[in-house]
Amino acid sequence: MHSKMRTTVLAGLLYAAPVVMHAQFDFKVDGLPVQIHSFASQGFGYSNDNNYLTMKTSQGSFAMTDGGVNASVRVTDRFRVGAQVYDRDFGNLGKWHPQLDWAVGDYRFKDWFGVRGGVVKTVFGLENDTQDMDFLHTFALLPQSVYPTDLRDATIRHKGGDIYGTIPIKRLGSFAYTAFGGLRQDSQYGGYPYLLSATGGHLTSYGGPQFGADLRWTTPLKGLLVGASHMGESITGKGTWTLAFPGEAPITMAYEEHSNRDWTNQFYGEYTVGKLRLASEYRRYWRDQVIFNGTWEVTTDVRGWYASAEYPITKRLALGSYYSRWMVSWVDSMMGLTEAPSQSSPDRHLYDKVVTAKVDLTKFWNVKVEAHFMDGYGSPGMYPDGFYTQDNPQGLKPKTNMLLIRTGWNF
Amino acid sequence: MRHLSRFFILLGVSLWGAAWAHAGDVKVIANSSVGASSVSTDELKGVFLATKTSLSDGSHVEPVLLKAGAIHEAFLKEYIGKTDAAFETYYRSLVFTGKASMPKALPSDAEVVAYVAKTKGAIGYVSAASPTAGVKTLDVK
Repeated sequence: MHSKMRTTVLAGLLYAAPVVMHAQFDFKVDGLPVQIHSFASQGFGYSNDNNYLTMKTSQGSFAMTDGGVNASVRVTDRFRVGAQVYDRDFGNLGKWHPQLDWAVGDYRFKDWFGVRGGVVKTVFGLENDTQDMDFLHTFALLPQSVYPTDLRDATIRHKGGDIYGTIPIKRLGSFAYTAFGGLRQDSQYGGYPYLLSATGGHLTSYGGPQFGADLRWTTPLKGLLVGASHMGESITGKGTWTLAFPGEAPITMAYEEHSNRDWTNQFYGEYTVGKLRLASEYRRYWRDQVIFNGTWEVTTDVRGWYASAEYPITKRLALGSYYSRWMVSWVDSMMGLTEAPSQSSPDRHLYDKVVTAKVDLTKFWNVKVEAHFMDGYGSPGMYPDGFYTQDNPQGLKPKTNMLLIRTGWNF
Repeated sequence: MRHLSRFFILLGVSLWGAAWAHAGDVKVIANSSVGASSVSTDELKGVFLATKTSLSDGSHVEPVLLKAGAIHEAFLKEYIGKTDAAFETYYRSLVFTGKASMPKALPSDAEVVAYVAKTKGAIGYVSAASPTAGVKTLDVK
């Protein structure tokens, strides 16, 4: 009830906001211009049968609210500082626990070499660092095969630093690079802790060192950009696990899991010709972890890709569509179990066909209407994929159709 | 009556034509602190996409935009390769991920000229016909 009231109040404020504010907010401190920007979005999801992304979408759900505010100042020609706070309530994700989304000091020595440090949004693929910014995208929900919103904490930011730059090469276009390193620290209100909670797990910390790089090539062919990203990490999770046996008192024990070897590769391309934008990305996530205090090894191989097209048919109306495919397989040492990558079973894949219409009501306010036609439900119970067993106690149907309406503002 | 019809047709074409501008209608201007007298299209694109903060002669530059209009759209189309909406989206993606600040945007050529004239390193664009006293014009190569 408390959460519903907060959602209602925030939704009301969000609807009133465009009347009150119509532009970014600037002021000066000691003669230095400080910029304030903010954004917010409110969604409604309705699906047949299966509940998705921890929301009760089968009954219609407004539990899809997020927003953020940032402040930044250019201290000198080369040095900038700024910070952004982000908060969200997506079903059982986020639950109004605000995060420091980023807080950076950024010094640009040369165009080809700069450094930034603090809490830094991770450059990875086309949309990783902007995946929360609904107003930047035509789609109400980015392809979950590559940008799973329930697992945003896995890649969204790191506490550490980057080196970055852009290097033009005569007749070859230009290359933009980012190399990053730092610590990943997941929220307790993300998809993985939520997955474990269904069987008694309660993570109090989940994270560890994370490093990687991104290289993107703006090619000599006008409108074509291609790139690749790589990330390696060593993740440790700690908490407790409560085991319940019929007729006996539950037993709670300390729980620990850690990576043997985790990595993610992503390859992407984007082609813009006139107003038409085509994009495609492929992500592979390899996760070799030891769970249950060193007793059990699970190696998970997650592969996903999408292809999308977007076109603004008028100044205010854009149409878009994407096809997304996600597959998972694993090897489980305790059970001696290998799940072969057979994609025909609905618990091995999640395919999604999407069509979207986005209307820009003003420069700062948009509404999207989006239809999802999903085949499969991934691997509930083994890996977070949007469908959770505790949200679907009746069992999961093989296909899910969902209508998603989302409105967003930015200033 | 025929002359009146022709007048209105010509007036309509003129007004319609005025809504569209081309690269030749755009002039790139810079503060007098900028040493260069010319700029390449790649440099100009880099400056306005925040991937370059200086020109080849070492001059530090800071872009300033027109908020809207035919000259703004012609500049973006010719030198940046983006529509106004795509350009806004590009900058917002930088601002909301902590990678850049929103550049100054002004509503008229006169205000752009005044800002460029008083701001060290400023580089902007106006109509080719606009008076540009106090700033230098850069050749785009």
